[in-house]
Amino acid sequence: MSSGGGRVLHSEARVSVELQTPEMTLNIGPQHPSTHGVLRLVAKVDGERIDSVEPVVGYMHRGYEKLAEVRTYPQVTALLNRIDWTAGLANEVPFIIAAERLMGVEAPPRAQYLRIMLTEMFRISAHLLFLSSYPLELGASTPLMYALREREHVLDLIEGVTGGRFHPNFNRIGGVKPAAGGGKGQRTVVQDLPEGFLEGTRRAMAKVSAVCDDMEALVRGNEIFQQRTKGVGIIPAEKALEYGVSGPNLRGSGVRFDLRKVEAHLPYDRFDFEIPVGENGDCFDRYVVRLEEIRQAARIVVQAVDGIPDGPLRAKVPRVIKVPKGECYVRAENPKGEMGYYLVSTGGRGPYRVKIRSASFSNISVLPWLLEGVLVPDIIAILGSLDFVLGDVDR
Amino acid sequence: MSPSESRLRDLISDVCPSAVWREELGTAKLSIARSDWVEAHRALKSRFPFFSWLSAIDWAAEVAVGDAPEMEEGEQMVERFEVLSRISDVSDGDGLILSTDVPKEDACVDSLTGVYAGADWHEREAAEMFGIDFIGHPNLVGLYLPDGFVGHPLRKSYALLSREVKPWPGDVDVEPREGDG
Repeated sequence: MSSGGGRVLHSEARVSVELQTPEMTLNIGPQHPSTHGVLRLVAKVDGERIDSVEPVVGYMHRGYEKLAEVRTYPQVTALLNRIDWTAGLANEVPFIIAAERLMGVEAPPRAQYLRIMLTEMFRISAHLLFLSSYPLELGASTPLMYALREREHVLDLIEGVTGGRFHPNFNRIGGVKPAAGGGKGQRTVVQDLPEGFLEGTRRAMAKVSAVCDDMEALVRGNEIFQQRTKGVGIIPAEKALEYGVSGPNLRGSGVRFDLRKVEAHLPYDRFDFEIPVGENGDCFDRYVVRLEEIRQAARIVVQAVDGIPDGPLRAKVPRVIKVPKGECYVRAENPKGEMGYYLVSTGGRGPYRVKIRSASFSNISVLPWLLEGVLVPDIIAILGSLDFVLGDVDR
Repeated sequence: MSPSESRLRDLISDVCPSAVWREELGTAKLSIARSDWVEAHRALKSRFPFFSWLSAIDWAAEVAVGDAPEMEEGEQMVERFEVLSRISDVSDGDGLILSTDVPKEDACVDSLTGVYAGADWHEREAAEMFGIDFIGHPNLVGLYLPDGFVGHPLRKSYALLSREVKPWPGDVDVEPREGDG
């Protein structure tokens, strides 16, 4: 019996696999409940057992790498928001930092703190979405209400600062968006953070931590949830690395690695936080890692609220941005994993080439290997646990 | 934060002694010969087990979209595809970009799928976007583009139809204002 790299099939005991049936091709998707976007799986099944799976992607392909070549640098960030739309701002940051490095510009400390604070708030928002929708895919609808309620507080705060809930387009080369109220004759009016934002953020983080405790009891400790996820969809660490699986999916497999600890693109070294990891690399571990990451992100946000320095939001940059010749790769720990941009400039007003390294692309490229030999009812549990966004796969 | 050159040099000196090392703004890049492409990855895999991405750059003097590359006086653009891969570790964050030049008239390079399984989709994407052949790839079919799509969109010679019809009004909000230096 081939079960894909000797993985243990938890459901084996419960489903009769004696009966041999003719091979059947099963089309799953493009639209089905466990995707944020559209993904089609062409599965060859033998009864309840999957022989092989071919994911068909590209339904969301918008050609951002090409579009970036015909836009100026300030225009590109509006596209990048839409890659992983559950964490729009987090996509902007590495690209902007790559351009800043080539130009030799550095954002002022207040802007850097805001980048960290908002990235972590988007991480909380993205993970809360996962925390609520994943149990839903497995048949539990109540957690959705709890987690989405608190997510709304976070999104309101993000909207207060950036003007957008999902597509903030907030980062600028040299810092963050200066303010509303520009225009002729008003250029000295510089608006900073909205009134009450920092206090509101502190309160929201307390609520977020509280909902994590709720989810802990409601989902993590739930016997049905455990039965559906423990021992299912195991990704061993070495497979994860070879396929470029990153972020919480990699940490679920027990690899204690987080780009926030090793990359110097933002001053994360001034913050105190831990990297949660799983043990078995199964769906359950991936859930628990994200649950724990919300708590850690909330810790970072509170520390940023306490320590945010005063000062300008943007460094002095020319009005017409031209980036000197050069190449550099900047990556960041996004909610889904390693998000990076290889930016090639030849001195023009727009990039010559941008390679967008998005996390979900590599995270689901492991699917043909991972789904081989599993049972049909486990497909949704496994897909959901990888927490991918199709915009992040197709770009 | 970036890997020290000497350690890596030892690691791959047997495989590709002609490798050229360049480090710029925290990004380390090792340019190797096309014939060493797979062996260099094999030699580095134990040091860098994480396969991050693979892609290419179309270096062209004439472009159908965007700004043409600015050249220094007397500088000549070498027309070629540059195939890039990024591999890294998961302990101290070291990583490396491997690069090799592929001539346009013979756009092919050996596939990395035998070394890093994760190269599969990346090579399929690069193949359809640039028209580069990855020799030995088990299933080099399109990834994103619909059936019957003609052309390789990320080549610099590939024009964007919508931009041909109507130029992007990209200059409007960056015109110099009064008082700008």
